[in-house]
Formats: sequence, C-alpha cells, structure tokens
Amino acid sequence: MIALSVVFLAPLIVMVLGSVQRPLQPPPDGLDLWPDPAQWSNYLAVSRFIPLARLLLNSLLLVVVAVPVTVVVTSMAGLAIVTARGGLRRGLIGVSVFMLLVPAAALWVPRVVLLRGVGLADTPLTVALLALAGTTPFYVLLFALAYSRIPVSLLEAATLEGLSPYAVWRRIALPLGRPAAVAVAALSTLYYWSTFMDPLTLVSSPGNWPVALGLRSLSEMEAALYPIYLAGAVIVTAPALLAFAIGQRSFFSAVERS
Amino acid sequence: MAVKRHVAAVGPHKGTAPTAASRGRGVGAAIRRWPLAVPYLLGSLLLVIVPLALAAALAFTDYFGFRPPEFTGADNLVRLAGDRAFWDAVGVSAVIAVIVVPLRLFLAVGAALLLARPRGARTAVGRAAAYLPSAIPDAAWALLWLWILNPLYGPLPAVLGALGVADPGFLTTPWGARAGLVLVMALQVGEAFIVALAARAAIPNRLYEAIELEGGSAWFAMTRVTLPLMAPIVLVLAVRDIVVVVQNAFVPAMLVTDGGPANATLTAPLLIYRRAFEYGELGYASTLSVTLLVLTGVAAALPLWLAARLAARQRTRA
Repeated sequence: MIALSVVFLAPLIVMVLGSVQRPLQPPPDGLDLWPDPAQWSNYLAVSRFIPLARLLLNSLLLVVVAVPVTVVVTSMAGLAIVTARGGLRRGLIGVSVFMLLVPAAALWVPRVVLLRGVGLADTPLTVALLALAGTTPFYVLLFALAYSRIPVSLLEAATLEGLSPYAVWRRIALPLGRPAAVAVAALSTLYYWSTFMDPLTLVSSPGNWPVALGLRSLSEMEAALYPIYLAGAVIVTAPALLAFAIGQRSFFSAVERS
Repeated sequence: MAVKRHVAAVGPHKGTAPTAASRGRGVGAAIRRWPLAVPYLLGSLLLVIVPLALAAALAFTDYFGFRPPEFTGADNLVRLAGDRAFWDAVGVSAVIAVIVVPLRLFLAVGAALLLARPRGARTAVGRAAAYLPSAIPDAAWALLWLWILNPLYGPLPAVLGALGVADPGFLTTPWGARAGLVLVMALQVGEAFIVALAARAAIPNRLYEAIELEGGSAWFAMTRVTLPLMAPIVLVLAVRDIVVVVQNAFVPAMLVTDGGPANATLTAPLLIYRRAFEYGELGYASTLSVTLLVLTGVAAALPLWLAARLAARQRTRA
C-alpha cells in the first residue's frame, strides 16, 4: 500500500524539486534532483513569460460562475433520476451514459460554429456554458447514487404535504445529500481550473484564456529553462490540490456507504 | 389525477420488471418531480445533441468558416477513404489505447481493492494519493513529464542510465515517444479508481464473514466473490476508459511530444484539431470527427462483445 502511494506521489514531489533548481545549467551528470540552493525566484520569473495575473483571474472567474451552476443543474437532474420510474428513468440514465461515451473531439467543430453564430465564442466565460449541460454526466450519476439512499417514504411524504418539486430538492434532497454536493463542487472546480481543450477550441484570444491553457506557451521553452516551466506548473497545480484537499473527504464518503 | 394518468402511461413498459412496477405504483406521487431534469436536458440538447447533429450535417460539406457550408455529397467520404494521414493517426490512437487501457484498469482496480477497507489514516492517505495525479491540471502534468522524459535534463533517463537500462529515447524515437505517452496517462486514473471503490464497497461484508467462517482463503474470496461481483463494473470502466484515453491523449500529445517524432504520436484527436483549427477545414474535420465517434463506439463495444462471448462459453460449459 505504501509502495502504491509512492508511485502516485513521486511525480508531484519531483515537480516541486525541479521547480526550485537553477535554470540554464548544463545537463547534469546522472541523477541530481536535490536543489542546492533552492532557487525560489523561478516563481517570480514565470510572469515574465506569460501574463500570469490575468490568466489566474480568468480561471477564477470561470470557476466562480461555472461551479455553482454545475452543482444546481446536476443535483436537480440526479434527484429527477432517483424519483423517476420506468421508461423516464431509463431514458435519463441512457442519455447520460450515451453522453459519457461521446468523445470531446466530435464536438469541437460544431460547438465553435454554433457559439460563433450566436456571438458567445471567445469570452472568458464561454467555457462556463458547459455547466448548463452539467459539465459531465458523471456528476449527475454521482448525485443519483447519493440521493438513492434517501428513504423513498420521506420524498413521498414531502410531496403529499404539497411541496413543489423545487422545494423537495431545495429543502430535503440538497441538505441530505450534502457530501455529494461538496464532492461535485470540488470535482467541477478541478475541471474548470484544469480546462484545456475546451478553451483551446472555443476561445481564440489569449487574453481570455484560463491559466491551464496559458501554460501551453511554456511547453515551447528551451529544455534548459525547465525549472521555470515547472514553477508555472506548480503555481497552477497548487489551487487544484487545495480544492481536492477540501473536497476529498466528502468525495470518498459520497461513493461509500458509511 | 395527474399521477394516475402517468402511472397508466408508464405501466406497459414495465412488463419485464414486476417488482419495479409495483414499487412505481407505490411512489406514484413522486413522478411529478421530472421537471427537475429540464435544465440538464435542455443544456445537453443545446451543447451535445444539437452539436452532434450539426457535425453529422457538416460532414457532407465544404466549410471554411467565412462562406456558408457547401454541400458536396460523398466527396468527403471518398477523401476520407484515401486519407493515409488520418488512418495512421487512428492506428496510433488504437495502439496507445491497447497498451494503456489495461494498464490503467489494473492500477485503478488494484488500488481500489487495496484501499477498500477503511483502516484509518493509512487508507485515507492512500486514497488521496491514488486520486492525486487526476487532480493535477492536465497541462501542468504534461509540463512535468516534458521534463521527466527529457533526454538531457530529465530524471527518468538518468535513473534508467544509473540502473544500466538502455534509454528508449522518450522524446526522440517513435516507440520511445509512444512509451512516454503511455507513462503520462497511466497514473491519471482517479475517476475509475473512485467507481471501482464504490463497486467494492457495495459488496456486502457478510459474504466475506461467511467465507472466513467456513475457512476459505483470501485468494478464494478474491477470485470467487470480489472479482466476479465487480466484473460488470470493470467492464463499464473499460468501455469508458477507451473513450477517455483516445480523448485525453490529446493534451500530452500536443504539449509533450507535439505529435512527433515523425508523426509517431499524432493521435486522431490531435490530427482533427489541426485540420479544423490550423488548416480551417471545418467541413472535412467534421467528417473526421464523426468517423472518430463511430470508431470509438465500435472500439467501446469490443469489451462488451468479449464479455458476452465469455459468458456464453461459461454457460455451455456449465
């Protein structure tokens, strides 16, 4: 189990070590990972190569808008799947599974054509539109899994009391399925923070890019400058790991009966 | 009244599942909650279903973005049939998927089985570690591997050199670059890991207690209970992973190997991206992307077909 953790953790440790080495050195003779002394100024140098502040702000805006929309849309749909019966239920699950299997490449061209047509392409928030479709059906199925553990009699009683579908969702399902909501919020934060392919095709002005896409130009740098592009990678990774750290407990409890 | 009408409408579909039908009648009142699915369905319609239909229509046109699309009949299909570059790219995607999908499933399911029973802090750390690579943004992950695999500065060629293993040339030779892509994708298995973990958690504990009581070995429990009960989920994961791998090879293929050397890692999505957004051939790129959709569907059906064959063989043997 420990060996397994090491395999999964090693790349991250190596990334941080690499990011504080001295740039523009001759290739090392053999393996030399320990930086001596640590060169923290690499982190400041990143913004000389990409407009880091602007890109971080774009990503923050994207997350702030897209994540709440995703949670609302997918949790409502999850409750609908749990309470629907027969053909309707099979239909909803079927549509979700079908959409999980559509490769994103099949949607690049038509999405660009459609969004340009209605004038919604190339803004910092264009990618946030995907939240209207729930970002990925995986989140809908996650909510359905969590809500399926709410006693049916409870939902039934609420309906008999005359609560509207919206009120049942807002007052019963959402509070009882809180771990699932936190998990989906964390996962979709990771999704929008990391999004690369969607803005690459939908957003053409570099000034409107999220930060993960901004890293692209760092990949074209000289190999000897690797500590600087690794510093850029660490800067983009740190907030993602923070979101993961906050969400992971709810996340694991959402998939597992406690 | 609305409830009764709905139950009557749904009733006939349920001939095959009498228990579900009786339950359905019991909670008939709940049926009216379908409006909650409307935002999701509407969003999916606008951002997935309509675009798919549009792609299918554009596939039969010449379209470069500045003039309206021009219908060209089967011209694009003729071109597709003779398009060596595309079929080579499909081959590259297929080779990578054949290597990396089993590897990823092995890692994801293996990690899920090892970390299934909650045993305090160690399990928590292990689970977080197994998901961690998937939490790192793909572009940052790609930059990291761009360095790890670098022939001059990279730690991995240095480690291999110290161990006396010949450097496969991760960024410089065709098969070395493909091996590099496999390494980049092998560890990002968070989603499959979570699903496998949930599947394992759904197996009732009393089964294992019974085996222990009867003196069955851990091997027996694994091969006769755990794996057979998880097989359907592993199958679904395999299907999903084929789609994910074909798609997710895009970021590392673009940032780490840039399709090279000599197009050895030019995967199908990367080729479609270049056709659409670098050459501006939106019409023909649609032909390619719809073809990729169909091919991925066929590839994803492969594990299902294999499972059906295996099940049929077992039935005849029994």
